[in-house]
Amino acid sequence: MRGAGLRQGALGLALVLPPLLVLGFLVALPAVTAVLATLTPDGGGGPTLANYARVLAARTLRADIVFTIGITLVSVAVVFALSYPLALYLRFSRGRAARILGVLFVVPLFVPVVIASFAMITFLVNHGLVSTLLYRAGVRAFPRLVYNGTGIMLTQVWVNIPFAVLILGAGLQAIDDALIDGARDVGAGPLRTFLSIILPLNAVPTMIALTLLFIGVFGSFTIPYLVGGNAPAMLGVTMTNYLTQYLRRTEAVTIAVLAFLIASVVGAVYVASVSRRERGAA
Amino acid sequence: MVVRRHSRMRGLVTGLLALLVAAVLVPASVPRGAGAAAPVTLNVYINGDTNIFDLWSKSLLPAFTKRYPQYRTNMVGLMHGNGWQGVLDKLVAAKRASRTTDVDLWETDPSIVQQGMADGLWVKLTDKLVANLGKVPADKIAATNGFGAPYRGSSVVIGYNSQFVKTPPKTFDNLVAWIKANPGKFTYCDPNTGGSGQAFVAAAIYRYATAEKYAGNAYDPKEESAWEPAWKLLRDLQPAMYNKGFHPNGNVAVLQLLGQQNIWIAPVWSDMGLDFSKRGLVPKTVKFEQISPPLFGGDSTVTLPSFSAHLEGALTLLNWLLTPEAQQLVISQVSGYPGVDWKYMPAAVRKQFADVAKPYSPLPNAKYLADLKLLWHDRVAAGQ
Amino acid sequence: MSGVLWPWAAAAFRRAAGAAALLALASFILGPLLTLLVWAFAGTWLFPNLLPEFSLRWWAFVLGNADVGKAIRMSLLSAPTATLISAVICIPAAYAFARLEFPAKRALLLSFLSANAFPKIGLYVSIATLLYRLDLMDTFTGVVLIQLVNTLLFMIWIPTGTFRGINRNLEEAARDAGAGPLRTFFQITLPIALPGIMVAGLFAFIAAFDEAQGTLIVGTPNHMTMPVLMYNLVLSYPQPVGAVFSILLSLPSLVLLLFAQRYLRAGYLAAGYSL
Repeated sequence: MRGAGLRQGALGLALVLPPLLVLGFLVALPAVTAVLATLTPDGGGGPTLANYARVLAARTLRADIVFTIGITLVSVAVVFALSYPLALYLRFSRGRAARILGVLFVVPLFVPVVIASFAMITFLVNHGLVSTLLYRAGVRAFPRLVYNGTGIMLTQVWVNIPFAVLILGAGLQAIDDALIDGARDVGAGPLRTFLSIILPLNAVPTMIALTLLFIGVFGSFTIPYLVGGNAPAMLGVTMTNYLTQYLRRTEAVTIAVLAFLIASVVGAVYVASVSRRERGAA
Repeated sequence: MVVRRHSRMRGLVTGLLALLVAAVLVPASVPRGAGAAAPVTLNVYINGDTNIFDLWSKSLLPAFTKRYPQYRTNMVGLMHGNGWQGVLDKLVAAKRASRTTDVDLWETDPSIVQQGMADGLWVKLTDKLVANLGKVPADKIAATNGFGAPYRGSSVVIGYNSQFVKTPPKTFDNLVAWIKANPGKFTYCDPNTGGSGQAFVAAAIYRYATAEKYAGNAYDPKEESAWEPAWKLLRDLQPAMYNKGFHPNGNVAVLQLLGQQNIWIAPVWSDMGLDFSKRGLVPKTVKFEQISPPLFGGDSTVTLPSFSAHLEGALTLLNWLLTPEAQQLVISQVSGYPGVDWKYMPAAVRKQFADVAKPYSPLPNAKYLADLKLLWHDRVAAGQ
Repeated sequence: MSGVLWPWAAAAFRRAAGAAALLALASFILGPLLTLLVWAFAGTWLFPNLLPEFSLRWWAFVLGNADVGKAIRMSLLSAPTATLISAVICIPAAYAFARLEFPAKRALLLSFLSANAFPKIGLYVSIATLLYRLDLMDTFTGVVLIQLVNTLLFMIWIPTGTFRGINRNLEEAARDAGAGPLRTFFQITLPIALPGIMVAGLFAFIAAFDEAQGTLIVGTPNHMTMPVLMYNLVLSYPQPVGAVFSILLSLPSLVLLLFAQRYLRAGYLAAGYSL
C-alpha cells in the first residue's frame, strides 16, 4: 500500500513536470529574480520592504489599486449575472432562439481584444452609433460611456461573456437530466431545482469561472489602456507607465508583485475551496 | 454517443489541419528574388507613428536599396506607445547573453538613446565612421552624447480650426485665456502617450521656470519644486478641457478630434499636422502656427547597436540618410525638418517651412521628461 | 375571469420579456461589430447622420500592406502549434492533479496561476536573455514557447476541474471489467471530459493568439504575429482604416469560429447524455 502510494506520487509528479518546467524557466525564475530585486535597497544592504512602503505611500497608486479591484469586482459580477442565466438557457432550451443565442454569444471570443476595444469605442463614444441613435430619438443628454471606468467595465463584459458561458455550460452539460427531472417530479420549482441541485453540482466550474475571470480582468492591460480614462488607471496600465514612461523599473516590478499577490489570494481561495469539497466528497 | 462525439472532434481537427495547410501553402507576400551575391538584409526598427512607417517603407528604404542593391531591408514598426521598451529589453538581453542582435538600425528619440547608454548598447558615431555626420549641427549630436544621429526634426505647434477661431492665440498666456473662454474646445494628449501633450505640459512648466535648466544632462529632482505653479495652472484648466478633462491616447487621437471638429485648438506635431492636412484627413480650415514662447521640438535620431550583425550595412544606411537625397524625402514625404543643417537644403524648401520651422524650446532630458509625465499624472490627472 | 386570463398573460409576459432580453443581448454583442463594419465602408461619417457616405477607397489603401499577410500566416501557424503542445503536456498533468496524490499538489496547482497572474512586463529582459542563450530568439520555436506560457493556466485548471467532476465509479467499473489504465482513460474518461477540454483548448488558442508583448521581443524581425501589428494598424490610422484592418484581422479567427461553432453547438444539442 505504501509502495503504491509512492508510485502514485512519482507518477503524479512526472505527469506534472513538463508544464512545470515551461512555467519554471519562463515565468517563475524571472519572477523570483524580479521579486528579489524589489527587496534589495538601492544603496545595497540587507533585504527591506522599503520599495513596497514607498509604492503604497503614493496616494495615486493606492487609488489605482482600489480602482482596479473595484472595476474587477463589478465586471466579474456583471459577467456572472449575465452568463449564468444564458448558460442555463442554452443548456435547457432547444428552441430556435436558443440556437441563435448559441451562435451569437461566442462571437466576442473570436474577436481579438484590441479590435474589441476599438469596436466598443466606435459604438459607445459620444457621436458614436449609440449616441447618434439616441440623438435621432430626441435624447440630447448622453452619458460618458467610454474613456472611464464604465467603458472598461462594458468592454470587459463584452469580451468575457463567452468565456464564462462556455465554462459554466461545460459544467452544466455534465449534470444528469434525470436528477433534474427527479427534482421536478417531487414538485420542486425551477428556482428550487436551481438552488438545491444545479448550483451545488456546478460549483467547481462556477468557481473556476469566477477565479479566472477575476484574474483576467484584474491583470488586463489592453482594455483599460484603450478604453479607460487618464486617472485613476488600472494597475496593468500603471505599471506599464512606470516602466516605459516614468523609467522606474523597480517601482514597476514592485507594483507587479503587489498585483500578483492580490491575484494569488483569489487563486488560493479557489484551490483551497475545491480541495475542501473534494475531501468532503471523499 | 461516444463515437459520434469522436467524429465531431475529428471534424474539428480536420478543419484546423486544413487551416494549417492553407496557411503554409499561401506564399509569403514578400517575394524572395534571386540576387547574384546573397544580399545582406538590414533590419530597421522604427518607433514613430504610422506616417513615419510609411516614410521608411515607401520612400527611404526603396530609395536606399535602389542605390545600394547589395542590401535588402526589413522594416519592423513598433507598437503604439510602448513597443520600444521591448526592443530595449531585447538589446539588453542580447548583450547579457553575448549574442549579436538583429536590430541593425533603430530610429528612436534621444531619451531612449540615453537609457541604453549605461548598458553600452550603441556605436559612438564620428565623422570617420559616418562621413555625412559633419553636416549635422554639433549641438544636435551633443544631445545624444554622440550615440545617435538626428535625421529628421519636428516641433510641436498649435493646430486651430480657422472656421471657428478667427484670431488664434499668439502667446502661451493668450492660449490659456482662450481655453478658459471656450470650455470643451481644447485638449492635449496624455503626456504618457505622445510628445504633443508633453509639449503643452512643458510649456506650462517653462512659463514659470527656465527651459534650458532641464535640457542638459544634469538632473536634480529638487529642481522640480519650481514646477508647482504649472501643476496648479494645468489643474485649473482641467474643467475647460474637452469632455471636462479628457486627454486622448496619442498624437493621432488628438488630430482626429481636431479633424472631427470636436475641438478647435490643440497642440500637434508640425510634421504630423502638415501631413494630415496634405492627405485631407483634417478639414482645409485647420491651420498651424507657433506660439511664443515656442512649444518644444526635437529630433528623431537613428542609433546603431554596437553588436549588430550587419554594422557595416547599418553605417552605410545611416550615412545615406544624411545625404540631400534622403533628407529631401523626409521633407517631401512627412514635412519634417532636415537633420542636417538648413544651409544644406535648397532655398525653396527653406521658404516653404518659414512659418512653422521657427526656433523651438528644448526638450527636457530623459529623466526630467519621465518625472514630468509621472507628476502630471499625480498632480493634474488624478488631481492631487 | 382574471383567474383564467392570468396564466395566459403571465406566459405572454414571460415570452415578451424573454424576447426583449434576447434582443438587448444581441444588440450589445453585435452593435460594436456592426458599427465597425459600417465604418469600414465609410468615406465620411459625420454626426448626426445614421449612415455614412459609402466608399471603398480605404480598402485599396489597406490591401497594399504586405506585412499583414505574413503576420496572419505566422499567427495561424504558431497559435495552433502552441495549443496542441499545451494540450499534450497539460492534459496528463491535469489528470494527475485531479486523480493522483503527490507531494505539494495544491501548491503546484496554484503555481500555474503565476503564468497569467504575474505581470510579465518587467520580466522580458530575463526571458529574452534565456531565449538568446538557447538560440531561440527570432525563431518559430521561440514564438510558440512564449505563447505556450499563456495557455498553461487554461489547459491545466479547466481540465483539472473537468476530470474532478467525473464520477470515479465509471472509471472503476471499466477497470473492474479488465480495461487497463490507459484504455480506461482514452475510452471512458477522455470522451466524458471532452467538452471541458474543448473549452480549455479554445481559451488556450485565444490566449496564444492574442499574445503581443512577448512576441514583439522574441519574434522580431522575421516572426511577427498579428496582434503585434494590430496596435499600430487599428489605432494609428484614421477610423475607417482602423475598421478595415479590424475586419481583416478578425477574419482568421472568425473562420476558426465556423469550425468551432459546429462542435460547440452540437455539444450543447447533444447535452442529454447520462453519466
